[in-house]
Order: sequence, then structure tokens, then C-alpha cells
Amino acid sequence: MLDIGRISKRFGTRQALAEVSFAVRPGEVFGFVGSNGAGKTTTMRIVLGVLAADSGEVRWKGSPIDADLRRRIGYMPEERGLYPKMKVGEQLRYLARLHGLSNAEAAASVEHWAGRLGVAERVGDEVQKLSLGNQQRVQLCAALVHDPEVLVLDEPFSGLDPTAVTVMSSVLRDKAESGVPVIFSSHQLDLVERLCDRIGVIAAGRMVAVGSVEELRERDGSILIDVHGPPAGWAHGLPGVELVAVDGAGRSRVRLAAGVDDQDVLRAALAAGPVHEFRRWRPPLTELYRNVVESGAAAADHAEVPAA
Amino acid sequence: MTAPLSPKQVVLLVARREFVAQVRSRSFVIGLVITLVLFSGLLLLGAYIGVQSDSKTLGLTAQTASLQPVLEQSAKGQAIQLTVRGVDDEAGRQQVDAGDLDALLTGEAGGYELLGLDAVDSRLQALVTAAVQQQTLTAALTRAGIDPAQLAARSQLAVDTLEPADPEAGQKLGLAFVGIILLFFSLSGYGQLVATGVVEEKQSRVVELLLASIKPWQLLAGKIIGLGAVGLLQLVILSVISGAGATAAGLLTVPTAAVGMFVMVVVWYLLGFFLFAALYAAVGSTVSRQEELNSVVAPMIFLLLIPFVLTLNLLPNDPRNGLAAVLSFIPFFSQTVMPARYALGVASLGEVLVAAVLALIAIVVVVRLAGRVYQNSVLRTGARVSLREALSNRS
Repeated sequence: MLDIGRISKRFGTRQALAEVSFAVRPGEVFGFVGSNGAGKTTTMRIVLGVLAADSGEVRWKGSPIDADLRRRIGYMPEERGLYPKMKVGEQLRYLARLHGLSNAEAAASVEHWAGRLGVAERVGDEVQKLSLGNQQRVQLCAALVHDPEVLVLDEPFSGLDPTAVTVMSSVLRDKAESGVPVIFSSHQLDLVERLCDRIGVIAAGRMVAVGSVEELRERDGSILIDVHGPPAGWAHGLPGVELVAVDGAGRSRVRLAAGVDDQDVLRAALAAGPVHEFRRWRPPLTELYRNVVESGAAAADHAEVPAA
Repeated sequence: MTAPLSPKQVVLLVARREFVAQVRSRSFVIGLVITLVLFSGLLLLGAYIGVQSDSKTLGLTAQTASLQPVLEQSAKGQAIQLTVRGVDDEAGRQQVDAGDLDALLTGEAGGYELLGLDAVDSRLQALVTAAVQQQTLTAALTRAGIDPAQLAARSQLAVDTLEPADPEAGQKLGLAFVGIILLFFSLSGYGQLVATGVVEEKQSRVVELLLASIKPWQLLAGKIIGLGAVGLLQLVILSVISGAGATAAGLLTVPTAAVGMFVMVVVWYLLGFFLFAALYAAVGSTVSRQEELNSVVAPMIFLLLIPFVLTLNLLPNDPRNGLAAVLSFIPFFSQTVMPARYALGVASLGEVLVAAVLALIAIVVVVRLAGRVYQNSVLRTGARVSLREALSNRS
């Protein structure tokens, strides 16, 4: 288990991170979301030891991360970085060797990952001659060549074409299935929702929510229901039922307060007119995220955030 | 599957990458060729200027022809190759105008005139002045009944030295010059490469990836060692080529002194390189882009240039110069001044050792400070990192 335990970091007068805590389990893909400047990159840099935390600790399998453990992490920095004038293959072999692989192991691993990520034909080219998308694939190779025990990827999907996104997703899933905790940040929430087992939302340096998408949905306890059929105003006056949205074509969305029986609501709707559709609305992560960040930013000052 | 690497292995891996990347780069070969061309060009130019300035053609008219023996004799004494051509006044003026004659001596006793195109070479002027004076003096003495030869014998001055004059002094000076020029170019060139390399890693952001697996000092040490080795390789290649070339051309007949100077150059290159490379790396790490680099490395180039220029100017005429003697012990200056003094035979091996130890102490101090600056600055991008921030203890 990768444990990020109450890490704080201050840059000058700005509190970049305030007691950020969460954990990523082996075999889990963890999505790290938050607006720009919320603290995602700072957190990842601290995990990698590129930055030192003011307080708090990062642990892997129970022991604090030291230089030797760090070497076994695969890292993709937000600021992509490779030697522009070095050939792809040489560069990857060099990075693998810095992580402790022998020459032969490095060569085999580079061949494997370059093939998997579709840059096998470019290993003899200088990095600067590759398109940005291909450079990104090479960057992911660089994070994978030493067969890391933990993967930390800062925005691995930004700037990728749809094919590359598919390849990248499947690689991350495979790594997770082989028992590696994978943590990545992204602004593509639909992708995060699809790919991640659990999600952490960070806002203004504080974790405001951690959990699976389903858990995030159930966080506030209310239930949303889409109803198609009964005339407008059918829900008016029903206790614990709030009309969230309505259109002119007989469609409405209502929020049920905690404890309200949906069967009672269905009966009320039937009483008002024919019901063609009555179903639970599961808000996508985009919507959950908006709610969490908005309410989280307001609550952050006094609420202790539950971390898994 | 990954085994922990010892720090030494990491440093060697980094150094090997730097070495291979540099030696394979086009700039290494081109740099080598350009340096060789410049070097041989410089030597040829020096030789050519030497020949040019020492050979003069003087036109003499019928009235001044009597001065020819005296002129030729004093020219020989001053190591000037003087060609005398008898012309009449009119033709002589035309030949001066056309550049065939360096000057024309015309007029007659009591009213000699030395005519040049737009200036008369000062050595030629001195030569003619002396010849005219001597001619006049001899005539006056003879008229007064004194034998000029007797007078000359009585006014003779013997010059001698306590130690036998060194017949190889000229070659030693040449060796010292070649040595410090090589040192200067190697130190400034490869120091600059270290700074460029640091900024390249910073600008391309690869440094963050590297520092996620190795420590800053390992990266810094590997870079300095790798590039230092390339500099050394270039130094050896250039030394061997210039040594072989000079020997083949008959300019170099003192192989022992040459080998001695070569060893000196290598030792002082290493001492100077670690000192300057650490500084170059430190200042390089404070900026984020190559464009900003020039302004911060300029002071270093001055630091290297000062002893270089001083040595070139002071030592040829005054090998025992006091300022040079003092500077030859001071780190940052010693790497240029001391090998030159040693080559000229004015510094003993003991003095060289003392200066080397002082340089080593300086290296230890500078490398520590530079390492701290580097560690504190290398991951900070954007605005230039101030030296105070970079030297402060927190990372």
C-alpha cells in the first residue's frame, strides 16, 4: 500500500499542501483530480522525493520511502523531460540502467516497452525528431522500463491522440492488474471515471474527497431521479422532494432527501399522469467533481476530510 | 530485478553518457578541427610576421651608397635582413610608392633624408640613424687623428651571466605559450560545456526525471567527470598533433622539455577543470534557459582570461616577474601562470607542488559550495535563482 500521510508543503506564504492524506492499494488505479494549482503535482513530486515535504510522510509497504525505494517507482513528470539530442533507445536504456538494470535487462525491457507503446521503429531517432505524441509515449516508456513497483504519472494523457489514449489506458490497467499501485493525475474526468478504481479530489491543497465514483455519488446521501411522463408540477408539494430540472417535453429531475421512499414518489407521479420512465440518475464524475470542489472549498477550512 | 547501484556506479553511468554524447556529437569533431586550424594558423601567422618584420629593403642613391657597408654591418648586428638596392632618386621614389622599397635613403652628408610611403618602420629608422651617426662620427674622429677601431676597442662592454644562458630558452617560451593557450581553450571550452549541459537538462526538464532516481551530487559529479574526460581527450589529441607537427617542422628539438610541459598541462588542466567546472555548473544551475546563460558565465571567462593575458604579456620579457610569481600560487590563477613559469624554468617542482596543493584545497571548498548551489537551484525553473537563495541551507 502506498500511504500518503498528512503531508504539508509551504512555498513562501502560500500553503500548497495541507495535511494531504490518501492511500493507493496494490492493483489499484487511482485518479488524482483537481483544478490547476490545487496541489497534484506538488504531491507527486513529494512522493518521488524531488521535493521535500515540510511535514508528513510517504510510506510504501509500511516503510518510509527512501532513495532505494524511490528507484523502484516509475515516474512521469508533468514537465516532460528527455534529452532532446539523444536517441530514443539509448536514452531509455540509460534511464533503465540508472534504475539498476543490467545492460542486457535494460535492452530487453526497452525493446518490450517500445513495442508495446508503438514507438519501436523510432528507437534509433533522436527524441527531438519525434512528434509530441510520440515523445509522450517514450516518456511513458521511461516510467516503465525498470519494471517499477509503483507508478506515479502526472497527466499522462494530456496531448495524446485517441489511439494513444487507448494504449496508455490498457497499459495502466495491466500494470495495476499485475499488482502495481498506479496513481495518475488528469483533467479528463470521463477518462478518470472509466479507468480508475478510486479517485481523490484535491482542492486548494486539501483532499476534499477520496473514494470510488460510486462512493462519491453516495457521499451526500440524496438520490436523483429522472421522470418522463407526468405533467409539470407533479412533484409540487411532495415532502422531501425537490425539483432540480424540468423541460417542456414532460421530463423532470427530482432530488429525494435522505429517507424518502422512491416508491411513494413513483405513486405520486402515477397519480399525476402516465409515467414512461422513472429511473435513478447517476451523475458523471464531472458533475460530482463540480459539487465536491465547490462545497469542498467552502468546507475545507473546518472539515476533516475522510481519507480511505 | 533491479539491484541497488552504488554511488560510484551511478556517477560512472552518468559520466559515460556525457562522454559518449559529447565525443559522438558533431561539435566535438568540428571543435577539434577548428582548434587545429586556428592553432596552426596562429603559428604560421606568427612565423610569417616574424619573417616580414625582419626583412627590409632599402634604396640607396649614388650619394648615399657610401653608407652601405655600415648599414649592412649594423643590420647584421640587429638581426635584420637588409637588402640594399642602388637606385636614382626618381626611380627610388616610384619604387617606394609601389611598395617595392620599404624606404629610400636620399640626400647627402649633412642633409640625409629617409623616405617612406606613409610611415617608416621604426627599426629601419633606428638602423639608418645609427649608421648615419656612426659614419659622421668615424669621419670626425679620423679628421681629429683618432683611430676609430682603437676607440671601439677601448669602449667595449662584455655581457655575461652568472648561469650559462639557456640555448633552448626560445623553445621553452614557445612550449609555455602553446601550453597555456591549450589550457585556456580547454578550460573555458569545457567549463562552458558543463554549464550548457546543466542548463540543457534544466531546460528540457529531464533533470526532474533523473533526480527522481539519482542524487543531485551524483548527476553533477558524473557530468563534470564525463566532460572533463572529453576535454582531456581533446587536450591529448591537440598536444600530440602540435608536438608531432612542431618536431617534424624542426621547430621542436627538446623532447624532454616538451613531455615535461605536456605532463604539467595535463595536471593543471585537471586541477583547473574541477575548479572551474564546479563554478560553471553552479552558475548554470541558477538559470533556466540557454539564452540567460551568457550573462552569468561572463565573469568566469574573465577569471580565466586575466591570468592568461597576464602570462602572455609579462612572462616573455620578464620570467621572474613578481606579480606572476605571486599569482602562480593563487587558485583560479595558478592553473595558467604556474605551468608557464615552470616551462620557462623559473619555478621549481616544489613550487609547482605547493601551488597544486593550494589548488586542491580550493577545489574541495568550491566543489562543496557549488554542489550546494546546484542542489538548491537545479529543480527551480523560471526566474533566475539568486546566489543567496542558492547558498542557503534548505532545499
